[in-house]
Amino acid sequence: MKTSLLLRLFLGAAAFCILLPAALLVLWSAAARWSWPNLLPESWSGRTVAELLFGPQNIWPLLGSSVSLGGAASVLSTLIGLLTARAAALYDFPGRGLVRFAGLLPLLIPGTVFAIGIHLVLLRAGLADTAAGVLLVHVMTALPYSISILTDVTAALGCGLEEQAAVLGAGPARGFFAVSLPELTPGILSSMSMAFILSYSQYFTTLIVGGGRVKTLALVLVPYIQGGDRSLASVYALAFTGSALVVFALFETLIRRWQRRGDKL
Amino acid sequence: MRKKRTAYLLLLPLMGVTALALLACGSVLTQSLGVVPAFGLTEPTLDYYREALTDPAFFSALGVSLRTALLSALAAAALGTALCGALVRLGRDRGPMAYLIRLPILTPHAVTALFAILLLSQTGLLARWARALGLLSEPGAFPQLLFTPSYGGTILAYLWKEIPFVAYFTLALMAGVSRTLGEAAENLGASPLGAFLTVTLPLSLPAVSQAFLIIFLFAFGGYELPLLLGATLPKALPVYAHLAYMHPDLRQRPAAMALYGLILLLSAALAALYGLLTRRLLRRVGGGQ
Amino acid sequence: MKKLTALFLILTMLLSACGGKDTHTPDLSAASWDQIEEAARGTSVTFYGWGGDEDRNNWLASVAAPYMKEHYDITLEVVGMNIDEILAKLAGEKEAGSAAGSIDMIWINGENFYSAKENGLLYGAFLDKLPNTGNYIDTEDPETLNDFCMPIEGYEAPYGRAQMVLYNDSAVTPETPASAQEMLVYCQQYPGKVTYPALPDFTGSAFVRNIVYEICGWEQFQTMEADYDTVKEAIEPALDYLRSLNPYLWNQGRTFPDSSTTVDAMFADGELVLGMSYSPYGVAVGIENGTYTGTTRTFLFENGTIGNTNYMSIAFNSPNPAGAMVVINAMISAELQLSQYEQLRNLPVVSPAKLSGEERAAFDAVDMGQGVLSQEELLTHRLPEMPAKLVPVIEEIWLSEVVGK
Repeated sequence: MKTSLLLRLFLGAAAFCILLPAALLVLWSAAARWSWPNLLPESWSGRTVAELLFGPQNIWPLLGSSVSLGGAASVLSTLIGLLTARAAALYDFPGRGLVRFAGLLPLLIPGTVFAIGIHLVLLRAGLADTAAGVLLVHVMTALPYSISILTDVTAALGCGLEEQAAVLGAGPARGFFAVSLPELTPGILSSMSMAFILSYSQYFTTLIVGGGRVKTLALVLVPYIQGGDRSLASVYALAFTGSALVVFALFETLIRRWQRRGDKL
Repeated sequence: MRKKRTAYLLLLPLMGVTALALLACGSVLTQSLGVVPAFGLTEPTLDYYREALTDPAFFSALGVSLRTALLSALAAAALGTALCGALVRLGRDRGPMAYLIRLPILTPHAVTALFAILLLSQTGLLARWARALGLLSEPGAFPQLLFTPSYGGTILAYLWKEIPFVAYFTLALMAGVSRTLGEAAENLGASPLGAFLTVTLPLSLPAVSQAFLIIFLFAFGGYELPLLLGATLPKALPVYAHLAYMHPDLRQRPAAMALYGLILLLSAALAALYGLLTRRLLRRVGGGQ
Repeated sequence: MKKLTALFLILTMLLSACGGKDTHTPDLSAASWDQIEEAARGTSVTFYGWGGDEDRNNWLASVAAPYMKEHYDITLEVVGMNIDEILAKLAGEKEAGSAAGSIDMIWINGENFYSAKENGLLYGAFLDKLPNTGNYIDTEDPETLNDFCMPIEGYEAPYGRAQMVLYNDSAVTPETPASAQEMLVYCQQYPGKVTYPALPDFTGSAFVRNIVYEICGWEQFQTMEADYDTVKEAIEPALDYLRSLNPYLWNQGRTFPDSSTTVDAMFADGELVLGMSYSPYGVAVGIENGTYTGTTRTFLFENGTIGNTNYMSIAFNSPNPAGAMVVINAMISAELQLSQYEQLRNLPVVSPAKLSGEERAAFDAVDMGQGVLSQEELLTHRLPEMPAKLVPVIEEIWLSEVVGK
């Protein structure tokens, strides 16, 4: 019982550390002036909220593009991750060791180099300044995480269950979808969220490859942070993190509903 | 084992992506060798690497980056694993807390830097709380965390992002392991802590070790946090490279690219070294069971 | 493994086959202005520049863009991007031999202009083609014709003017140090509460150049070679001064804030008692939105402060140079300059002598807000920039000779 109290305290401390800056954002969003040593802002203003909702860089179109890019990237990255994980975890073939390295490669490349290098490559391929090019780069950034998460869970599951299904007469596709997929769901969900997170928070790659034409929330947010208007930066940062959390909540409610229906069948 | 051809088919998309990534590296490395035909530079040379490696500033920057990355990644791996263990143990691997730990992961580095400044600067919220509690009267009495050669603020900012990352990254695997084998061990009479330390943790180590590598490489190669929160001197290696890259004279580009080339090579070497070390270590832990 | 290699080779070939298209820019050298306007009708123009200024973003979206649509049927697309990223992008396009680029207009000046021009990233001379150059711009003014001592040769058109100013809060510190020497005394009086942004921050770099001017005069630098030792010798007295400042600065000058925006924030929080800015009317904006107290005021060094002009240029591979020229021409009109002066409090680039009586009255009627200096006060205390090539050299010297010394 004592350990569980300690663990609870630990979780509580973690939650506090995560939420404290978020709470600060709320205050700063509405603060006009907040100087030393005041514990609360001295004067308030609705300027930044109006800017966020109705200004020329209002969040609505940005939300649309960020969420659809993130959604597409999370599906693609998880799909490729699943294929790769199966090959790496369940097959033995020459060059298997290289797969782990190949999966990690985009992580080894410093962000700036990756963005500049891939921009040159995509320019030649005619994909620079297009949403497709940006999507491709987001998938590349997210893929190492998807591969890593999915390889772990695929390897932990092994192929025993599918082989049993095959013995019972199920084809390979049915074996995968009916037997392995449900077991892999937690891994798949976590890969999808991770890929979404990465795509959603990309700044430099989106900027260079999308050439500023593909506008996302992160693309508008970061210059405002660099611009030094803390209230404006806060309100955009709040919208950024808040919207991502809302997307997660919606996504997981949908999944849960879908799973429950699956259970009933 | 199954047919090789199927394995290669499954790997096709990864191969495509890897080819693109290699091409991207290739184009940068070409520039680092001083070949930028667009600006009339065509003769390949190793001079830019030589120049970088004879500059003492390079090595002090390397020291800063290694130290920052190692300290933040070690602490984050330890605390992140503990956080993950606590979540699994208390059955909170789904629900509000599992949402909450995603918040730092999805926060862009520039926003994290903003947090660090709002909280940790000498007039930040913590300093104001300290004043309200009567612990200090002047901002200068609050410990200097930002813009200092110790890179304390940078490390703390990385920790804020990386502890939840390690927890999240390990969560799927650890929850699975704990649900099956960990509980089995407890049913066989192991204490919760014993079951965690001898069964769940060792079996979750592959994910932890992978997460460590990812955050180490990120902290080693990322420029934003050390740029926004670090000292004027010495600079972190990626900041050093970034400033060279921002140099308006475009013909200086190869010098910046050589620095990036070195970061790339060092990252690859460190990752390989880490791979060798952990493979041996994991095998030993695995064999001990 | 073989397959991987083969795939890699095929990809490389495919990609290189796609590149290498010819650059095609319509030839406008012989076209008349009417023809250019006609060619621009119904097109869209992309304008790349720094995107961190909310007010400017709003002005471009709510004034400039509708203006272009209404008068010229041009869709103005503004893209926020830092200048080093813009140049990196252009350099990439040049390297890939990209036919039609993605950038039409660029907001640029100084070292970046110098480098872009040197490396063939700009379209070419166009300034003389614009009717409003003759109508509104003083084409004799050396400040307009030289960007950081680099002749613009018509490659760019002025957009706005900036000038280094200092500011503090009269309720906190009554003094306004008007010279380098007074600055030293001021720092001694408020130890640990003054600093400047670490170079190569734009404002920090200008502040240090301003100190160099204070101590060493400005004339000798106009023609100086960009050689490390030459420059170091010339600015040695200024380096001495900056080192003598260090013990009284924030953190004893061992470290400096990363950017001017951090300095502004530290001033607003009360951590610093003095700030510096390249926007001469920034204090008025700060007072209005509540960031600064009403007693904050702007001041200058008696011997003057550095001013420079920022410009608009056209990319070498602009898909729509005609449209870009039409937009730039409109940007330097009295009407849009007045609107910028009113809404952005940007020093205008139009020559007062060329304005009609009515236009001049409109400019004079603009209320610049609290805590700022008059345009006349600023312009009479304005010093020219150094040659662009010296700037990075001074930044390098500062890093090794001043920080922590």
